[in-house]
Amino acid sequence: MERNEIVNKIKTILVAVLKHEDFVMNDELTAAKVNGWDSLTHMIIITDIENAFGIKFKLKELNKLNNMGSLIELITAKLAQ
Amino acid sequence: MSEYIIRNAKPEDAAFLADTVISAEKSGSEKLSYCTLFNLTAAQAKHNITCMFEEEIDGCEFSISSFLVVEFEGKPVAAFGGWIETMNEDETPSKLLKSNLISYTFGREALEFLKTKAAVINALVTERNPMALQLEYLYVDAGHRGKNLSALLIETLEKRALAAYPGLKKVQVQVYSNNIPAINIYKKAGFEIVSTSKSNHPEVLEFLPWNEKHVMQKTIN
Repeated sequence: MERNEIVNKIKTILVAVLKHEDFVMNDELTAAKVNGWDSLTHMIIITDIENAFGIKFKLKELNKLNNMGSLIELITAKLAQ
Repeated sequence: MSEYIIRNAKPEDAAFLADTVISAEKSGSEKLSYCTLFNLTAAQAKHNITCMFEEEIDGCEFSISSFLVVEFEGKPVAAFGGWIETMNEDETPSKLLKSNLISYTFGREALEFLKTKAAVINALVTERNPMALQLEYLYVDAGHRGKNLSALLIETLEKRALAAYPGLKKVQVQVYSNNIPAINIYKKAGFEIVSTSKSNHPEVLEFLPWNEKHVMQKTIN
């Protein structure tokens, strides 16, 4: 899967869960910078990403995520497995 | 004469800490959000909470390292958790550590159910201040109440946090506004109410013990 396609899929999930588009998809994006990305929506976003890409994150992998760039990298690596 | 011993929680305490969470989370009611919001039985919820502790992730309310335990005659009888918000390896907020633990432990079906109930609890999700000591999940066994164990736990959590971070300025705790005994314990320990959030969702009391929460805070140093 192309990087662009991954980015677009994540964006679609974020918009669907958060119900707004007030964020710019770049590698430096973090949950703290996005309105409504709290503990509850985070769980839903993670599950929706797992569903959409047909992958399952490990706990250590989730805890190492520090921005959008690391999430895209992790998804890319999981899809390549 | 038997005496109380206070110590850091250990991995063997995971089941007791799960009971602590369940009792504190119910806040005197019969509603356990880890059952109601995830459509789980009490046994499933306890199993999942125990599993979260067993992951031994530091820096949130499901971290063994956050908790102090009071023992009496070799048995745990009281516990309280406390951690310095974002003071961990990756400066990750506890809400994300907790969410990751829940996402990882509870399973897809439970999370799908939660998704349908998000609107019920949204208004009660409160931000935690970075580098403040966050207290969560106080429990004292019914037979050991009235012995000042809560005050002892709070004081020891504060001392432990100050030793780890001498610049500590704030201690915060969240409490349902109808939990008067807990509010009185915190007031006695020097906390005051600094903010209140309320959910006006018509179904909130079907899922949570109460529809209003206070953040109580104490300034130190």
